[in-house]
Amino acid sequence: MFHTEEESIVTMINHIAQNNVSAGTESDVADMVESHITKFWSRRMKKILAEQLATGTEEFEPAAKVAAQRISDKLAAKA
Amino acid sequence: MLQHFDPNKDYGTPASLSEKLVTLEIDGVEVTVPEGTSVMRAAAMYDINIPKLCATDSLEAFGSCRICAVQIEGRRGTPASCTTPVDAGMKVTTQNDKLAKLRRNIMELYISDHPLDCLTCPANGDCELQDMAGAVGLREVRYGFEGNNHLNAEKDQSNPYFTFDASKCIVCSRCVRACSEVQGTFALTIDGRGFDSKVAAGQNEPFLDSECVSCGACVQACPTATLMENSVIDMGTPEHSVTTTCAYCGVGCSFKAEMKGDKLVRMVPAKEGDANHGHSCVKGRFAFGYATHKDRIKAPMIRDSIDQPWQEVSWEEAIGFAAKRLKDIQAQYGRESIGGITSSRCTNEETYLVQKLIRAAFGNNNTDTCARVCHSPTGYGLKQTLGESAGTQTFDSVMHSDCILVIGANPTDAHPVFGSLMRRRLREGASLIVTDPREIDLLNTPHLGDATHLPLRPGTNVAMVNALAHVVVTEGYEDKEFIASRCDTKAYAKWREFIIDERHAPEAVEAITGVSAEKVREAARKFATAKNASIYYGLGVTEHSQGSTTVMGIANLALATGNIGREGVGVNPLRGQNNVQGSCDMGSFPHELPGYQHVADSVARARFEKAWGVELDDEPGLRIPNMFDAALAGEFRAMYVQGEDIAQSDPNTQHVEAALSALDCLIVQDIFLNETAKYAHVLLPGSTFLEKNGTFTNAERRINRVRKVMAPVAGKEDWEVTVDLANALGYPMSYSHPSEIMDEIASLTPSFANVSYERLEEHGSLQWPCNDAFPMGSPIMHTESFPIGDEGKAKFAVTEFVPTTERANSRFPLLLTTGRILSQYNVGAQTRRTDNQAWHDEDILELHPHDAEERGIKTGDWLGISSRAGQTVLRAKVSERMQPGVVYTTFHHPGSGANVITTNNSDWATNCPEYKVTAVQVEKVSQPSEWQKNFQDNHERQYEFLRGSASANSAVK
Repeated sequence: MFHTEEESIVTMINHIAQNNVSAGTESDVADMVESHITKFWSRRMKKILAEQLATGTEEFEPAAKVAAQRISDKLAAKA
Repeated sequence: MLQHFDPNKDYGTPASLSEKLVTLEIDGVEVTVPEGTSVMRAAAMYDINIPKLCATDSLEAFGSCRICAVQIEGRRGTPASCTTPVDAGMKVTTQNDKLAKLRRNIMELYISDHPLDCLTCPANGDCELQDMAGAVGLREVRYGFEGNNHLNAEKDQSNPYFTFDASKCIVCSRCVRACSEVQGTFALTIDGRGFDSKVAAGQNEPFLDSECVSCGACVQACPTATLMENSVIDMGTPEHSVTTTCAYCGVGCSFKAEMKGDKLVRMVPAKEGDANHGHSCVKGRFAFGYATHKDRIKAPMIRDSIDQPWQEVSWEEAIGFAAKRLKDIQAQYGRESIGGITSSRCTNEETYLVQKLIRAAFGNNNTDTCARVCHSPTGYGLKQTLGESAGTQTFDSVMHSDCILVIGANPTDAHPVFGSLMRRRLREGASLIVTDPREIDLLNTPHLGDATHLPLRPGTNVAMVNALAHVVVTEGYEDKEFIASRCDTKAYAKWREFIIDERHAPEAVEAITGVSAEKVREAARKFATAKNASIYYGLGVTEHSQGSTTVMGIANLALATGNIGREGVGVNPLRGQNNVQGSCDMGSFPHELPGYQHVADSVARARFEKAWGVELDDEPGLRIPNMFDAALAGEFRAMYVQGEDIAQSDPNTQHVEAALSALDCLIVQDIFLNETAKYAHVLLPGSTFLEKNGTFTNAERRINRVRKVMAPVAGKEDWEVTVDLANALGYPMSYSHPSEIMDEIASLTPSFANVSYERLEEHGSLQWPCNDAFPMGSPIMHTESFPIGDEGKAKFAVTEFVPTTERANSRFPLLLTTGRILSQYNVGAQTRRTDNQAWHDEDILELHPHDAEERGIKTGDWLGISSRAGQTVLRAKVSERMQPGVVYTTFHHPGSGANVITTNNSDWATNCPEYKVTAVQVEKVSQPSEWQKNFQDNHERQYEFLRGSASANSAVK
């Protein structure tokens, strides 16, 4: 249960996806996850999320991965 | 004409709630009063004051002293006016020679067994017996004082706050009735018969050893000096009073701070207080000694490093030192490298200013508050479902409930005054359902009728709430009309499809929750079929990895049964600290501006930008745990903490200590050198609630005035310090009184639009939303619509049960859950510095006899408690309140290290820590843990640094 901050971020997005698994299709769940992270996560957390996604080594829930990619794309667009 | 209610007057018997009026004649005066009013009260309402001793308007009429006898035309004898209800056309005489003689005779008997030491009695000038002796014109006692009497009865001085002097007791039973009717503890009784009758605590025990909870109701009710505050015995009677709001729990009781000059003599619960109606608990009533405790920080202090002694400096130097460090850090590490934490113990105005300082002067949204670690899931869950991040009812609403569902809350300990009100309703016949791993005291309410305990396993709340809702829907108990007219149909259809699935059936979740399916079905039926069913919940709901999901599940249950929007129903979070509702309302969270307006909402943000004269960040800032992580990563370097003790209250203490140690500048503003301050570089003296003006908002959204009764010990109220810091940072703040801050809040926060100090003075208190739509405030919310979406319809939320990853295994086979106790408050900084220590001077570990026996543990043994996060040592108490496999402790004493063992697991939506589930192992040990040894060393070193500062300063002087 103990993680580095980076691992915690991935655990947290997976946790959000798991808690919204009944939202509908994978895309619906991804919408929920993306909306939640956009609304509540800090800039720094989003940045770490994008970095973890880029490493390709972390295990994301499928819907979490879709949401993480969208968040990452938005960050890249803003940069 | 009816007279206005004067809260300072004792009308003798409680008010009648009847709307039907009755007209009668008292002493030739025509009076019109509600049907059911006593003759005594009717007379008092027209300022015709009938002598009384056993009657007081906080208690039901008793009719034992007979001194209130009157004559009624056409009726025989001299009935007691307290027990005689008014009748239309009744003609009452309250004064004539016959009544005068009768009253004098009664009083003569009382005084024949009462010490005649009025001049040296602590109640001199504040004694109803003395007043009545004067009122009836008693001039002699013909019986003498030689016969049998009680004049040498022993005093009971066991309670640290009040003395029971039996020699002065007139056996009027007011104390006994107050303990039963108001407090609901039934600790007092009249022992013996006839002349031997006497007030007794418990089984004739000293007060301190009895079930007495020291709420003060008996002291309040006593008409003589029999039950008297020790502070009055020591200091004499007060000479003026100021009405203010208690700074302990989220009930927010109103008190009269009774003063002698600038010294506080006693706190007396205010009858006119809408949250407490004249009742109190041991904390608010008696535990105010911390305000003048020797440990108070009385001067600002600074130091370069936490390994150095403190240096006492002027306010200007301390503020300048702090501002320079903050600016230097931002210049080197960037705008987002600093942040702050607002206090749920400070006022709305102070909390508002701290988040404003962070957003406007720091230039980021790195603001958070202690609600992060308690009720942040309430904010999230209720906003998602009901549209507003707050409870829906008044406290008084419970008196209309027919079924009360309590989930993960312990009101008689954590919200005692509301707990007493709830117990009153339970005695009247409301049914009770308690969902809690522990057998809480509410289940042992005297005269409790129908009660069900669902002793679920820690971490299974969502499964339980879903199972209850499953029964409601599948057995046809839904309120279809309510759902159709008040709820979003699409969200409802989705939820309905989800909840009817057999995986949520009580039989399917029995293996998860550990509670029998039949019991769950019975509870669900009871809740669903009650005319008015209400839900009360606490940290046992929120402090889980699925805290937000459970809150939404609770809202679902209330919506499905139509229990929202009227008296006696609703969703009621019992908020922990005095102003935790207010600190959330005031924009303490990193994603929300005051009034729960999201930082990304450009329209709302523009209003704040215009008013504050700065551009605001549109991205959420760091939450408290994110601040710790960022500090350890070297990206977050400075923090301003006002009135919070994160080093003691937050989970995984060693992680928090490492993060705080990593900061370049920690500014702590507090009344004591708390655990967090041991890691600080700037220590700014805080002011107690007695030393400042402002407002608190309680758990029922009631905004109540806090009024200054004494000067701040270091010269500044907390809001003034924040103003100074802002100005030193170059962001101008200029307020001359907190009322101006409230005016600014009202101008920017739609739900506070009609709140002002003038209106608070006029109405006593106001419950938000208070604006043009609800000009008098909103005691009950959501009566017509919900503030959500375009159509104002509530939204059911799908609440999937996801088990916590924190599970028991062979290495950590027990589950630890943490909580609170009546006599101590939160981290204990205040209550540990009072005589409340008499009840709880250390945190202990409760465990079930089965678990104790397996490990050879007896009550009093030292136990090492290990989790994946750390280890600590506590003493054992073997208790059947726990279920096998579950252990329990409190976190009121820092040296206990309860949070050394809690983990950094947290709620998926809000990061509220999972304090309620930690897998642990327990074994007998003989010495403190390593952390405790280090804690003690650091504690002594830091206090030496503090003492060094004080002695250096006195040497200079």
